[in-house]
Amino acid sequence: MTLFRRHALLAGAAAGLAAASPSARAQGLRALTLQAAWINDAEFMGYYVAMEKGWYQAEGLDLKYLPGGPDVIPEASVLSKKADVALSTVETVINAITTQRAPLVIIGAQYQKNPIGIVSLASKPIRTPAEMIGKTIAVPPVNRLTVEAMLKLNGIDKSRVRIVPYAYDPTPLLKGEIDASLDFTTNVPYTIKSKGQDAVSFLLADFKLPLFNDVVVVTRDTLARRRADLVGFLRASRKGWDENFKDPAAYPPKYMETWFKGTGRSLDNEIYFNRAQAALMQHPKGVFALTPEAIQGCMDALNEVGIKAAQEHFDTSLLAEI
Amino acid sequence: MTATTRRERRGTIAGLILLLLAWEAAGQGGWVAGGALPAPSQIALRAWLDRGDYPAHILGTLRTATAGFVVGSLLAFVLGVAYTRWPRLQRAMSGVDVTIFAMPAIAIVPILIIALPGDAPRVVLSALSVYYPAMVAVVLGLRQADPRLLDLVRVHGGGAVAALRWVRLRGGLPTLLSGLRVAAPAAVLGSLLAEFGSGSSAGLGTYLIGSLGRADPARLWGIGLAATALSALAYLAVGLVAARFAGDTVPASTPVGTAAGQAAGEVRGWVARSMPLLAFLLPFALWEAGTWALRLTDVSEIVFRDPAGVLAHLIWDEGAARNRGDIAAALAQTLPFALAGVALGLAVAFALAIVSLLWPPLGATLLPLSLVTQSMPLVALTPLVVLIFGRDTGGILAITVSVTFFPAFVTIAQGLALVPPGLRDLISAWGGGRGIWLRRVAIPWATPYLCAALRLAAPRALLGVMIAEWLATGTGLGNLLNEARGRMDYGTIWSVAVVSVSVAVALHTAAASLERRVLRRFAFAS
Repeated sequence: MTLFRRHALLAGAAAGLAAASPSARAQGLRALTLQAAWINDAEFMGYYVAMEKGWYQAEGLDLKYLPGGPDVIPEASVLSKKADVALSTVETVINAITTQRAPLVIIGAQYQKNPIGIVSLASKPIRTPAEMIGKTIAVPPVNRLTVEAMLKLNGIDKSRVRIVPYAYDPTPLLKGEIDASLDFTTNVPYTIKSKGQDAVSFLLADFKLPLFNDVVVVTRDTLARRRADLVGFLRASRKGWDENFKDPAAYPPKYMETWFKGTGRSLDNEIYFNRAQAALMQHPKGVFALTPEAIQGCMDALNEVGIKAAQEHFDTSLLAEI
Repeated sequence: MTATTRRERRGTIAGLILLLLAWEAAGQGGWVAGGALPAPSQIALRAWLDRGDYPAHILGTLRTATAGFVVGSLLAFVLGVAYTRWPRLQRAMSGVDVTIFAMPAIAIVPILIIALPGDAPRVVLSALSVYYPAMVAVVLGLRQADPRLLDLVRVHGGGAVAALRWVRLRGGLPTLLSGLRVAAPAAVLGSLLAEFGSGSSAGLGTYLIGSLGRADPARLWGIGLAATALSALAYLAVGLVAARFAGDTVPASTPVGTAAGQAAGEVRGWVARSMPLLAFLLPFALWEAGTWALRLTDVSEIVFRDPAGVLAHLIWDEGAARNRGDIAAALAQTLPFALAGVALGLAVAFALAIVSLLWPPLGATLLPLSLVTQSMPLVALTPLVVLIFGRDTGGILAITVSVTFFPAFVTIAQGLALVPPGLRDLISAWGGGRGIWLRRVAIPWATPYLCAALRLAAPRALLGVMIAEWLATGTGLGNLLNEARGRMDYGTIWSVAVVSVSVAVALHTAAASLERRVLRRFAFAS
């Protein structure tokens, strides 16, 4: 069996995940696979809208969408060619480039301002990093370094805060077993409100850690070989996001029986999320913008905490071609 | 039905109703963990509201768990037959088998997800979970053959194949099928764990990860109980098939107390001396072969390590001393809890087995509760555990006991059930009570089974502590694994996986050698 045939078989074994569907091939579309960072929710609305509207097809692309999960590492997905494009956190991407020599490059940023923040109850509010001292904070283990970095940047010794694992369930916070948790501020306050309490939160971005989130990452190889397709992907996705933000309540109901079916989350929750994220994503230069100032701010923060970010980790030229 | 069993059954039913009522009251009143334990009625109501979501997820889990069960038991059957025919093969493979048994799922799920496409990680984890208990049962069943029947085949000129065909398979069928029955629930849990990590297509694990953020314990319990029901159905379904093929001779469960799964037969000379070395090296050889297979696919070199890669990370790479230090420090936190967890898990199992023996209705009431702890995904129970036991020693030990006690309990209970009833009559004829019987008969009798239970519990205790560290405390190996994932530090990920498997195998081997010594002392060795 030739190596090529083996790859074709593997692609087939992936239930056609990576291979173009017959009808797509008939239309001359090129397959492009997107690895999302988490399970299907409002965080990825723009891509769902662009798919529904046929905007990827208009760019000659047959977009396949892979949801993420707690054990899915998006960078690993593109490195292993399971996906061509991934959404991930800027600190893990640049850490992988600098310490593992991963051939990755960032071509856009979905969130200009990272939605990640420290969420506490209004009855026991934590409004600044200084107020975290002596408290117990639940942090997903994969984000622990980010929180420790934020503490360091704000002059707080990490030993003065008790960090415990966060398993994505706000119950211990609601019951007062922990004082705060690190989560998407676009999401958890909804849950807390639905349980009859009020939430207080602050963004890490507002306390000396101005990082992008859900950066669009590809391998250097994909960038070289499929530049036009990547520009097409960014263009269609931006259109999808712009359409979505015209009315954040318009599209989530349409996907309750498709993208959001069986995820266990409610429509109200998705609409809340979609509204809350608009301000964190929209930018005068358009969604995904990578301005020199924002890149500089991101690099400075990363360098402060020992991740040696550099200009070459970002390629802003594709956005210029949209 | 005798009057005693009828009275016992009434007692069990009454006990279960009482348990349910107490749970309902505790849930309604918010007595446990500030209301984090939902009442059965709240769980039922939530499940009714969610009824549209469940069918797709249950079918999804059923699909991959069934595929995993078929693959795992076929593998177990083929290898089990081969082991019976060529005992040397079993010796050589013993390292591989124990590794599969002792492998902590949380260490290998991320690796499976990156290496395999689509639903394959779910099927593979499920098959790996089924393989070991099924293989042990196949070997045990085939070896149990009546030697007189084997002689008969030989006298008539039949060889090993004929013996297998006419005697071993027929005689061993009940044991073999009962082993498959015990393995069936493992298939469900294996699939569910991989679904939780990958969040891909429909499955109860996918539903669970989506539902965690709702702070809705009733939903989480609903999903957990659905998984429990699925496991119980798998157990019953395989049991029904078994009853059809093997009639009513199916034993209640696999007699793991007889050091099963360890190779029998004498091998002498240099072959025998080289066997342990071969058994030690074979897992590494298979690992190296797997790495080569991955190289032929598109999986990036950055995410996998071969044995040399792990050695490099720990010994000669730049920063190896720090890498070693990280792992040693984490292991020093994890190991003492694993040892304490084994001891406590066995104590709980032993107490439960004694209670079940002396007061059967109470035992039968506690059994469903024990089953729930086995198939409820621990991540759904974490808030409850940390609210009740905290995030220190208490929380770690609670999770470790819940992971270890059940297989130990089953093994010890089997042992106690085999105490000759005549001995009990003897004690009571001499005026001795339950206490004397316990001290003089039951405990000595159960000792070999306790050793077998120790062998089963030891690797699981390590897994339990790592889960607790991952979910509740943020310390030790479980936490190191997670943090390394955040840094994409695959050198550490693989090293932790290798270290945890090695420690689990070492614990298992130590327990097995203790067991052999005890069996010899009590003259049970075959």
